[in-house]
Amino acid sequence: MVLEATMICIDNSEWMRNGDYGPSRFQAQADAVNLICGAKTQSNPENTVGVLTMAGKGVRVLVTPTSDLGKILACMHGLEIGGEMNLAAGIQVAQLALKHRQNKKQQQRIIVFAGSPVKHEKKTLEMIGKKLKKNSVTLDIVNFGEDDEGKTEKLEALLAAVNNNDTSHIVHIPAGPNALSDVLLSTPIFTGDGEGGSGFAASAAAAAAGGISGFEFGVDPNLDPELALALRVSMEEERARQEAAAKKAAEESSKQEKGGEEQDATMTECASEGASEADNKKNEFLALAMSMDEPASSHDLQDTEMSDAATEDPELALALQLSVQDSAKDSSSQSDMSKLLADQSFVSSILASLPGVDPNDPSVKEVLASMQSQSEPQQKQDEDKAPKEEDKK
Amino acid sequence: MACTHDHSCEDHDCSSNWSLYKHIDLAKVTALNEANPGSVKSVFKAWEERLNSSRERLESNEGDPELLVYIPFTSDVKIKSISVVGGADGTSPSKLRVFINREGIDFSDAQSMQPVQEWELVENLQGVLEYQTRYSKFQSVANITLHFPESFGGDTTQIHYIGFKGEATQLKRDVVATIVYEITPNPSDHKTRAETGGGLSHVE
Repeated sequence: MVLEATMICIDNSEWMRNGDYGPSRFQAQADAVNLICGAKTQSNPENTVGVLTMAGKGVRVLVTPTSDLGKILACMHGLEIGGEMNLAAGIQVAQLALKHRQNKKQQQRIIVFAGSPVKHEKKTLEMIGKKLKKNSVTLDIVNFGEDDEGKTEKLEALLAAVNNNDTSHIVHIPAGPNALSDVLLSTPIFTGDGEGGSGFAASAAAAAAGGISGFEFGVDPNLDPELALALRVSMEEERARQEAAAKKAAEESSKQEKGGEEQDATMTECASEGASEADNKKNEFLALAMSMDEPASSHDLQDTEMSDAATEDPELALALQLSVQDSAKDSSSQSDMSKLLADQSFVSSILASLPGVDPNDPSVKEVLASMQSQSEPQQKQDEDKAPKEEDKK
Repeated sequence: MACTHDHSCEDHDCSSNWSLYKHIDLAKVTALNEANPGSVKSVFKAWEERLNSSRERLESNEGDPELLVYIPFTSDVKIKSISVVGGADGTSPSKLRVFINREGIDFSDAQSMQPVQEWELVENLQGVLEYQTRYSKFQSVANITLHFPESFGGDTTQIHYIGFKGEATQLKRDVVATIVYEITPNPSDHKTRAETGGGLSHVE
C-alpha cells in the first residue's frame, strides 16, 4: 500500500514487431503495461501512473502521472512502432515528469521496458542510476526481447547504481510459451517489494496460472474467504465420507443378495450422519442452489439409474447412493427445501413425474402423510427409493 | 560542557535554549542522498546528547557529499540560530544553504534556487558553534530545508547533530483549503442588512 507515483517507459522501437512474445512483442508489452497500471491503482487509490514512449521520433510523454486508469488505457491505443529506443533520455524525462508530480508525498518509481539493444555506455547508465538514487527514485527494469552485446550487463550495472535497500528490481524474461504479463505477475514488480502483494495481483496471477478456475472451486479466497473455506471443508468431509462408505461397500459386496435393503440402511445411516454434520454449513447454500436448479429431473435420473444398477454393480450403486445422499442431505437441512417438499401439490407433481411411482400406492400415501407433519424429508426420499426399488424388482 | 556564551552555565540551563527539536515533526523528516534511509531522524536530539554518536548518524552516499534535509515543524517557529556538528576527517559539511517553507525541493532545485540564507561552516566537532540567522526572515517557519553542498574534502558528509535555537509560536501555517472564486459576484448571493432591514449594509 505504498503511496507511489510511477512512470512507465515503453519501448516502441522497430524491434518490437518481432513475434517471439505473444502476438507481437509490442502487444505483449501493452498487456503488461495495462496490468501494471491496474495493480498500482488498485493497491492504493491515490497512486498515480504515467506513460511515455522512448522510441519513435523521440521521447514523448503520453500521459503525466494520473490515477485515472481510463486515460492511461486510452493512450495506449494507436501507438506507432518505429525508430530506436533512447534509454537514457527516456529515464531522464521520466524523472522530470515525476519531479513535477502533484502530490509530493508520493514515492517516485520508474518502470522501464527494455526490449531492444541498449546503445549507451555502461558509464552513462551508471551515472543516471546514481542520480536516480540520489533523488530517491526507484527503478524497475523489464529486460526482454533482444539480448546482445552486454545488454544484460549494462542493465544490471544500472540497477546496481540505483538500488537502495532492494527497492529496485530487474526481471529478465526470455521468449517462451508464457505471456510476458503472466511472467511479470510473479515478480517483485507486481508483488511490491515483498509486502505480500495486492489482492489484484494475487488473483490475477492465479487466474492466469490455472485458467479461470485457478482457484479451487473457482472462488477467489481473497474475494470471499468464508465461502472458499466452507467449500474446502465440505470437500474434505465428502472425501472422508466416501472413504467410510467405500469400506462399507467392500463389506457389502459379499452380501450382495440382500441388495437394496442393506443399501438403503447404509444410505439412511450415512444420510443421517451427513445431516448432523451438515448443519450450519454455508456450502449447503451453494449445493442447494445447484440441486435446486433441477430438483425434479435429478430425482428422475437418480431413481432410474438406481433401479437399473442396483442389482448389477455394487460400486456404481454406491456412487449413486452417495449422490442421492448429497441431495438428500442438502434438502434435509434447508428449511426452504423442506417447505417446498411440504407443499403437497409440488410433491405430488414430482411423484407423478417419477417413473414407476403410482401416487395411489399406499406406501407413497403414507409417506405423504408423514411429510405433511414436516418430519425429516430425507426419510421420505429414502422411503421413496425403497418402494420404487421394490416396485421395479 | 564548554559554552561560548559570556556567562557561566550554572546560572541557567543552556539546553533549554536549544529545545526547538521538540517541535520538529520527526515522522515527516526526510533527507535526500542519505546512505541509510531514515538515519536522518537520529540527528535531532537534546543539546546534551549532541556529541553522543552511539546511535546512527546521517551519512551521505559514498563519493557524494551532498545532502538535503527537509524538516517540518509541528507549529510555526522562529529560529534564532542553527548549530551543526559534523564528522571528523573532512566529513564535516563546509557550507549550508537554507530554504524556508518550500516543500519537495530536490537537488536540482536546491542548486538553482537562491537560498534564504547561506553560511560557510567550520568544523564544529564539539558542537559549541552556532550560526545566527537573519531573524527577520525566520519569523514564521513551518518547515525548513537544509542543503549541504560540500564537505571538507571527505568522501562523504557525516552529520551527528542539528540544533535549532528559537521560539515556538502556537500558530500553524496551513494551506487554505476551501476558497470559492467568483468572477462576477451575484448580489442575490450576498444578502445585505439594508435589504433585510436596518443598519449598515455589508456583504456577508
